[in-house]
Order: sequence, then structure tokens, then C-alpha cells
Amino acid sequence: MRHLPQVRAQCARSRRTRAAAAILFVSTLLLGACGSRNAPEPAAQAQDAGPPAIRYEDHLSADGTLPKGEALKNPVGADPAKAQAGGVLFTAMNCDGCHGGGGSGWVGPSLADGRWRYGGSDAEIFASIYYGRPKGMPAFGGKLGTDGVWPLVTYLKSLTPKDDLATESWVAAH
Amino acid sequence: MSVFKPTASNLIRITAFLTAALLAASTSTVMAQKAADGDWAMPGKDYGYTRFSPLSQINAGNAAGLHPVWSFSTGVLGGHEGQPLVIDNTMYVVTPWPNVLYAFDLKSEGYPLLWKYRPAVSPNALGVACCDSVNRGASFADGRIIYNLLDGHTVAVDAASGRQVWSTQIADLSAGETTPMAPLVTKDRVIVGASGGEFGIYGWIKGLDLKSGQVLWTARNMGPDADMLIRPDIFKPPYDSGPDSGRQTWANDSWKTGGAPVWGSVSYDPELDLIYYGTGNPAPYNSEQRLGDNKWTSSVLARRSKDGALVWAYQFTPHDMWDFDGTGTMVLADLVIAGKPVKALVHFDKNGFAYTLDRATGHLLVAAPYANANWATKIDLATGRPVMDPSKQTGASKGNVKGICPSLEGGVSPASPPAYSPKTHLFYTAINNMCMDYAAVRAAYMKGTPFIGANTPYSAGAGGQMGGFIAWDAGTGRKVWENKEPFPTWSGTLATAGDVVFYGTLDGWFKSADARTGKVLSKFKVGSGVVGNPIAFRGPDGKQYIAVYAGPGGDWFLLAGDIRSDDPADVRPPTDFIKDIARHTSQGGIVWIFGL
Repeated sequence: MRHLPQVRAQCARSRRTRAAAAILFVSTLLLGACGSRNAPEPAAQAQDAGPPAIRYEDHLSADGTLPKGEALKNPVGADPAKAQAGGVLFTAMNCDGCHGGGGSGWVGPSLADGRWRYGGSDAEIFASIYYGRPKGMPAFGGKLGTDGVWPLVTYLKSLTPKDDLATESWVAAH
Repeated sequence: MSVFKPTASNLIRITAFLTAALLAASTSTVMAQKAADGDWAMPGKDYGYTRFSPLSQINAGNAAGLHPVWSFSTGVLGGHEGQPLVIDNTMYVVTPWPNVLYAFDLKSEGYPLLWKYRPAVSPNALGVACCDSVNRGASFADGRIIYNLLDGHTVAVDAASGRQVWSTQIADLSAGETTPMAPLVTKDRVIVGASGGEFGIYGWIKGLDLKSGQVLWTARNMGPDADMLIRPDIFKPPYDSGPDSGRQTWANDSWKTGGAPVWGSVSYDPELDLIYYGTGNPAPYNSEQRLGDNKWTSSVLARRSKDGALVWAYQFTPHDMWDFDGTGTMVLADLVIAGKPVKALVHFDKNGFAYTLDRATGHLLVAAPYANANWATKIDLATGRPVMDPSKQTGASKGNVKGICPSLEGGVSPASPPAYSPKTHLFYTAINNMCMDYAAVRAAYMKGTPFIGANTPYSAGAGGQMGGFIAWDAGTGRKVWENKEPFPTWSGTLATAGDVVFYGTLDGWFKSADARTGKVLSKFKVGSGVVGNPIAFRGPDGKQYIAVYAGPGGDWFLLAGDIRSDDPADVRPPTDFIKDIARHTSQGGIVWIFGL
């Protein structure tokens, strides 16, 4: 069977360059150039000690009381260079095979529309990638580790559009 | 709107029975055959997958009076490919994931359910299936409805009680295998295969025991001869291939992750005791990672149903570098070609050529383009190989190769089985008219994730319309007539002895047309796009009815105009090549029945 990520204008990039750099990038990433296991960020070190405590801000809470738990902090932040590195990983880890080039949506939902099935905070996106989700999203935590997942989170957050376009109209423009 | 009246229908049924008995005035075998003519018990109606119904009450003179008599929401919104079955006044419907099986009582007003069966099926299948949550239908045999769950199981359900008789795991989700195809039952074997050409699976087909569901044989579609169930004394390919062809034609052992899924249909010739099926694309889409012919991907394979031994194989697209799967239906028909009777196999390939083969030997008799095809100028009948245009060859080192026709959605989608009428001697099929650019990149294999390596934006082919419906003469390789359609056309086809053919469109029209001229005789907007396959059956009142599903899907590009409405967290921009489709349809899941 067939399916293909359709790369649209806003997400077209040089995938050849990204793909060629991918393996090298992954190894350098995991070996330390982009956040080494020898000198981890404090947050990452704490997470490695046990499962991250994720508090789902979008979920309803009984009596309006949130469960206890420290929200994960993204050690990478919104650094554009790290977002670009995450974009390389997005191809190298075959994410685009399901979510489409630029995360525009294919088998998996769009990741570029600013809307999120399982929450759009950094911690929630981290949980989706690290642990997987029940409709076929694989758990990549075993392959990537925490240091590999955060740049992906930063990349995906960088795709969020300025405006949420809820309306598709066929009425002729005046 | 009318409904069946049980009392009247009983009367008519008795009358029809007596009439048939008097007219036939012969053995019970003939009468059983007569009754079966009004049933639809396997995906393609018969073993040859002709999708031809001998019912003739609906004809070119009265088809304008067709109207809906019943409809039912399946409660599921995935692509409704496949078709219902009708056996003994019960209609069986399998939904897309979560693969609910409904049994409708056609003898009671409003067709209430006799039972429904809701299997436990993994939601993970949704993310591993490359191309939506589709199911391509069930087969009836030995009093059981047999079909595949998307998560790699085959189940047999008692047709009378709805109780599960057996369930067998046949595929491995964690390796990228899913199972949307419709099993075919040949005597005492259930033949099944798996999708996963986009996940680098080691493609296979299996024969299960009809009684127990036990896997009796597994044949790989590539790899060493032993894995492929190739024995030199039995395997006689029509064109030279050499020993271990499934391994020798793949550089660097790339066959191990080479794809070759089985997601289309299976046909069967009981006299030759051969099953016929197409294999899908080689993986990955970047052909430079798997140099060689990549046998036996994008091919037709003929095997013995009893033990799976490979008897012959023919490759439509050697070293496929366009995702031209060979999984389209193999229609078996006895034709007269150049004055000689031929046991033929006719196949509309994704690559834009229609092939007519001798189904006993695999020799190519006719090959001609039925759609705009520019990757090859012709198929050489002496060697069986395409004569290719070097400027349309793809690979990571070739950059973005533009203007390849057809697109990888196929000139005909393998999800859209054609039909053959022995009355008009013509084949009928829905077609696509699309081209593509193809930019291959190196892909890295990671088990259970996509293994693709190409971007392939589409555009409409010459003329601007993206679909159509054609009549085809397979003896001469000639198109007889064509109805143009604005959108890619993805339904299966039904041909009937009334010389009326039926198909549906992506923008939600269900149409009947004159089999000899193509003139549209009736059309009705069925509420959602059609990618299902119409069937004909005889109701308990003795009248002819037509059933079809509405609900588009089966390939994400069909939903790419953001026709989805069920997930607020998934909003997609309109695509440039099919931007208007969301104006005409949203998702759906409706079973329709039409009558006069």
C-alpha cells in the first residue's frame, strides 16, 4: 500500500540534507554534543531517576483540585537552533512517515495546527513521544532517551501557527 | 421510500421458488445454483473476482427508476471499502476498525439486526496501518463469516449465531504488519496476507485451515527459495528468473526489509487449483537502497492453494521506483483473443498498463496503457519487461523527478476492483487521472516505524479531471468508452446481466450506467464519498437490489482536503490538487440498498 507525506509550501525543506545528517546527528546528540548524559541538565537528571511526573493541565480534575506532581521543564526551551535539530530528528526517526512532512498530518494527526489530542504543553508533548499513545503512536523514549525527545518537543512547538484557522470557506471573497 | 413487506415477500418468494423449480425442472444442484445467483458470498462474487451478477431485473430501460429503499449508519467513520455479503436472506457488513460485524435480517421490515459481533481489536493498529482503518470485506464458507481484524487476526464467526468459532493471529503489529485485506476461502483453505509496504515488512501470504484456523503454510513473497515455497520441479516462471530470484535480485540482502505486502484481493481457479494475488511495492520508496529487480514485488504470483507452492510469477514493474504496487485485482475470465479461446487473467496495474495473461502459464498476451502513463513507452511482449523512459526514473541521487504519470495512487487504485461482463465481454473500472513529482531520499529502517523515503506531491493529469470510469476490451487492449469524473474515482465496480454497471464517486454520487455506452442512467447522492464496492442480490421478495457503502477514506490523500470533522485536534489545510473535495463530502459510514 501507499502513503506519502505531502510536503506543502510552508513545510518544504531540504529533506536530503536533513536525512544525510541524521545518523551523525543522532549519535552526536546521544553522545553528548547536545546535552550529554555526563553533564545533564538538572531537570533531565531528575527525570532519569524515575518516571516523569506529568500533570495534564487540560484534563478535568475532581473538585477542581490538580493532582500533585512537578511539571517537567523543557531543558531545551524555545532555542531555534534546537528546534532545527529537532526537525532533523523528526525525519531521522521516521516521524514524518506518519505525521507528514513538516508535521502537517497524514496517518497521524497534524502537529502543525496548534491543536493537540493529548495536550500541548511541553511536558504533555514529551509524554506523548517518550511513552507513546494508544492509537499507534510508538514510544520513542527507549530509542531516544530524554535528551533526544526534548529537541523534538521544541521543534513541534515551533510549528504552531500564529492564528488558529477554524473556518474553511467557499464563499467568494468580496 | 419503500420497505419490504414481510407477508408479501413470503408470497413472492414462494412464487419465485415454484417458478424456478418448474423452469429448471432438473437437479437440485441447478436449483442451488439458482438460489446462489441471488447471493453474494465472497468478495468478488465468484472465485474469478468478476463482480458480475447474473441478475437482470434492473436493465438499461428501467434503471432510471432506481431509488434508495433502506440505509443504515455503521457508527464508524473510517474509509468504507469492501462490500457486504448476502447469504440466505441475511446481509453481513464488516466495518472499518474496530471491525464490527453486523448481520441484518432481510426478511423483516426495516432489516433489523439478527446479531452483531464486536471483536477485541487493538487501537494501535490505527497508527500502523499506512492507509486508514479500512477493511476490504469478508468471505462466507462452511456456515461461517471469515474476515480480518486490522490488528493482525483472522476470525471465523458462525453465520447463524454470531458466535466466534476461531481467531488466529496471523500478523505482527510490532513489525509494521496490519491486515485490511479480504480473505478468500478456497475449498478448505483460508488465504490471507498483510499490509506493510511502508514499514519494510518481510511480506507473505498464508493458508489457514478452514475448520480450525490453524496456519498450514506461510509463503514469503521474496527472499530465499525455501522461504518463498519455490521448488524447482514446480516453479515454472514464464520469463527467465534463475534460482533464488527472490534473494539474488536485491543488493545487500535488502529483501529482508523489502515490503511486498498483500493488501489487495485473491482470486482462484478451482480447475487449475491456483490462487492468484498481487504483491505490493518494494521498500523503501528510495530505489537506490535496494538495487536489482526486487523480485517478487509489484508482481502477480500463482500458487497452489493446498500447500502454497509457487507455480509461476510475473513482475509488472521490475525494480519499482514509483510505488506501483501490483496489488490490483486479478480478474479471471475465459476470453477469445485473436480467434483463440484463452483462460485469461486480466489486471489493471497501478502503473497505468492493463495486462492480459495466460493464467495457466503466466505468459503475457496483451499489455496496453488504459491511463496516461509516461514512465514506460510500452511493455515488450517477448520479454515481459517495460520499455522505460530514463528521464522518469527516480532515486535519492536523482533529486526531484517531475511529471511522472500515473501517480503512485495508481491509474486504478487496487482498492477499486473492476468487473467483467461475459455478456458484453468488456471489463469496467474506476480510474484516476493524476501525475506526481517524486523526490526520493535515503530512509532509515527502524522496526515498527515507517520506511519510506520519498515526497511525491500530486497534480491532475491531462484534461484536468482527476478520475473517471471506463469500459475496456482486454483482448485488444482498447478503451471502449469513458465517463470523466472531477475527483479521483475509488469505488469498485458491479456489472450485471441487465447490462447495467454501477460505481460511486468520491464526491458522493452512486451511479448506474449503460454497460454498452456508458450513459449514466441514474445517480443519487449517498451522503458521503464512495470507496466501497457495489453488489447485487435477490431479496426475499424475489426482486433485485443493489447495495453499496458510503464513507470515503482508505488513503490519507482522499481526506487531505480536511474532509474530516471528527477530531478537533487535527485540522489540515486544503491541498492544492484536490482542494474542493471537502465542499462535497465529509466522512461517513452508511450502508445503502437501492431497488426499483
